[in-house]
Amino acid sequence: MSATQTLASVEGTGPHRASGEQERRTKKRNRRIALALVIPGILGIGVTFLFPLVYMIRMAFNEGSGNGIVVETFTFATILDPLTDSYYWKVTFDTFLMGLVVGLLCIVVSYPIALFLSRTQSKWMGLLLAAALAPLLTSAVVRTYGWMVLLGDDGLVNSTLLGVGLIDSPIRMANSMSGVVIGLVEIFMPYAILAMMSGFGRISTQLEEAAGSLGANKAKVFFRVTFPLSLPGVLTAFLLVFVLSISTFVTPRLLGGGVVQVLATEIYDQATGLLNWPFAAALALILLVLFGAVISVYQALIKKIGG
Amino acid sequence: MTTVPVPFRKKFAWGGLAFKIVVTLAYLFLLAPLLIVFVISFSSNQYLSFPPKGFTLDWYKALPEQTQFIEGLQTSLLTATITTIIVLLIAVPATLALDRYDFKGKGALAGLFLSPLLVPTIVLALGLVIVLGPLGLTNTYASIVIGHIAITVPYVVRTTLMSLQTSDTSCEEAARVLGAHGGTVFWRVTLPIIRPGVIAGAVMAFIVSFDEAVISLFVAESGRPTLPVQVLRYVENSADAVVAALSVILILFSVVIVVIVERVVGLRNAL
Amino acid sequence: MDKLSLVGLTKQYAQGIAPAVDRLDMSVEEGHLVSLLGPSGCGKTTTLRMVAGLMDPTAGQIKVDGTDITNTPVHKRGMGMVFQSYALFPHMNVHENVAFGLQMRKKSKSQQDSLVKGALDMVQLGHLSKRPVKALSGGQQQRIALARALVVEPTLLLLDEPLSNLDAKLRETMRTEIRQIQQRTRATTLFVTHDQDEALAMSDRIAVMNGGLIEQFGSPTEVYERPRTRFVANFIGRANLLTVTIRGEETTPNGDSRYAVDVPGFGVHHAIGEAGLSGVRTLLVRPHRLSVSPAAPGSDGIIGTVEALSYTGDSVSYSVRVGEHLFTSERLTSGPDRMSQGDRAVISWRANDALVLPESTEE
Repeated sequence: MSATQTLASVEGTGPHRASGEQERRTKKRNRRIALALVIPGILGIGVTFLFPLVYMIRMAFNEGSGNGIVVETFTFATILDPLTDSYYWKVTFDTFLMGLVVGLLCIVVSYPIALFLSRTQSKWMGLLLAAALAPLLTSAVVRTYGWMVLLGDDGLVNSTLLGVGLIDSPIRMANSMSGVVIGLVEIFMPYAILAMMSGFGRISTQLEEAAGSLGANKAKVFFRVTFPLSLPGVLTAFLLVFVLSISTFVTPRLLGGGVVQVLATEIYDQATGLLNWPFAAALALILLVLFGAVISVYQALIKKIGG
Repeated sequence: MTTVPVPFRKKFAWGGLAFKIVVTLAYLFLLAPLLIVFVISFSSNQYLSFPPKGFTLDWYKALPEQTQFIEGLQTSLLTATITTIIVLLIAVPATLALDRYDFKGKGALAGLFLSPLLVPTIVLALGLVIVLGPLGLTNTYASIVIGHIAITVPYVVRTTLMSLQTSDTSCEEAARVLGAHGGTVFWRVTLPIIRPGVIAGAVMAFIVSFDEAVISLFVAESGRPTLPVQVLRYVENSADAVVAALSVILILFSVVIVVIVERVVGLRNAL
Repeated sequence: MDKLSLVGLTKQYAQGIAPAVDRLDMSVEEGHLVSLLGPSGCGKTTTLRMVAGLMDPTAGQIKVDGTDITNTPVHKRGMGMVFQSYALFPHMNVHENVAFGLQMRKKSKSQQDSLVKGALDMVQLGHLSKRPVKALSGGQQQRIALARALVVEPTLLLLDEPLSNLDAKLRETMRTEIRQIQQRTRATTLFVTHDQDEALAMSDRIAVMNGGLIEQFGSPTEVYERPRTRFVANFIGRANLLTVTIRGEETTPNGDSRYAVDVPGFGVHHAIGEAGLSGVRTLLVRPHRLSVSPAAPGSDGIIGTVEALSYTGDSVSYSVRVGEHLFTSERLTSGPDRMSQGDRAVISWRANDALVLPESTEE
């Protein structure tokens, strides 16, 4: 270091620099610019997201009794309330079960499309992909409405089955959990398809061809090569759909016709109907924890697959 | 090894008939609600029943008289636009900092901007109504915009980040050597190059905000609710097909937007 | 006064690791094209980027026309740079690209138009001025990048491996073109390359770099015919290198000395070199100066076996194994003494064709 400084001071006519000073100044200037660039974003997210979230979690430790009466305190009682109430255990359990069923059915129905889109060389690929993702452009309300029409007592499904003579009286689907499940399966298909496609992308077609050239027929190739390799993608799709299902509100509300109770609808009733904010917050906290746990697993899996 | 290898590629195309049928059925299931809504919107049945007894455009004609839908549409367009503008202004510079600059806590910050995706919307909705209620801010346009900012930021950050990461920084260096300082470099070189990503993010943000129902329901149920909330309330009570007509128009509207953007910007490059 | 002067220029990315550029001193005359030549990782691009201002030096100074610009920000240095990827602005057409630097200098629209036209004509692409840059071929993009850099009349022209992305044929054409344009505009130029042929063909001076240091700075002839170190001898052209001990020295009228050197195992031979060398040194004989002829039985000298030969039409290259050494000899195919694999051969050279490198080989 000293040799450098000596050289600089001997040769240079200008003031000699301490080593690295130029670099440090640039670094500092860059840091200031970066700070200015991110501050609006931090403020925005902080005010519209972090603050309400933290406030809500804090609210779960207050006491409430409906009608907007909130007692500012710090207690675990409000949170323990739903945890010790069998009704809410049932609601939570129903929510969880619904998530599982929707997740499973959804990946089953989405798998063929995802596989097809990953493999096809048809020139319609772009169009078909758009068709698979287009439902995401519409509101959940619109899609749920479509299912209400389809599954209603006078809806398409019942009318067809009655007309063909397969049943004598309409099957109750709308206004029940089965309708909600069917609707949710379809609504989350685009998400599952996307998740699986990114998982499938990693299965090289050469592997399948190699298996085939070794004598396996199509079915064998699928079951022994393609399917096992696709499982990580399938798993992440499942987790994604599960996590979306347990927190969804619109479809259980509409297709459930007031009969189906899940955590999301309970939160709504407590918050806007009964105006019992602490209790609603307690329920939301439970949902948040469930959601967070599964998402962490999902993130970990994504990293593993990506690696 | 007695068998001669069959010309394999031809045989193994993913086109087996059974598979194609399964895929078609899956697609039908996926698009069923949209298709049915389309059919019902032209049906002359009074209630949501099947099969349609006749063809009519009455539902469409009735739309302009549905004041709640017209008002809802105005609200949604307004709040979605304002939300998108605000989110672009705060997220694009922040993403620029995340990709082009080095500072402590960069990873955590990126996580922060993407974190709204990790929280159930209803939980955020509750938090917002709890905060905004006592402040008297519920049932206002502002409450909707505030509520939508958080959930749309991740989309803009993601697409902008992708564009930034795949762009060639030597163009920016070339601009600087040619005499441009920081702001000019961003405005005349970086921004035009990442335009596809920014626009893709903006379109996604707009659509997400426009379609959003839960947060809007919690923070702005009365007053001038957004269109999805209006539809939600209508559907809970009535069972006629005017909603179908509205839905068809909304679907077409979304598709048109996406097609236009794809043509103009080439979304494929940005996604 | 030198156009560009680097004094003790150093770049160290972190404590404890070797500096990328280590106390570099270099002077460039006005109007010269100087190549920074070396293998990847030698620090040539880092040096160029520090001169451009895209990277801050850890220590040292950069002076242009005597003025210290080390602290001047990039956009105020008034230089011109051509990047390896050309870095043309993809959303602008050719004219807008070339005009960009002029706009930064607040030139009027009519000034811009005439200067851009002049620059494009110079690279013979005037007819493409409205073309979007995405539609250009690699060679065309390169020329536009050059025009864009030159149109602002830069203090220095900096070229960062501009020819690497072109195919071989185009590279040779562009080599000549760039050199011609550079000489015509008399732009003082720094040219980074790892291709020695390019450097030899285009440069007024070559700085051969290795490990952040300049091993030799000189004209192409000097660097090729009088390399100072093993690295330079090996990097530029091909070399036969032997470790020898100097036994005797005779001065000659032109300032060089004629040395008697002891080649271990092969007796004493002769070579030339700069005056005043002694001890253990490296001997260099270029392959085309090394003779290989059939060894008559009983002849002495450096005898070996032709291990391989490679025939490339105009010339043939022999690899002759002598004990542990492998000598390479190149000669034109037309000529006496064609040899085959397995033949016994004797190796010889004329004293004037062998060079004793000044680099000390004492450890």
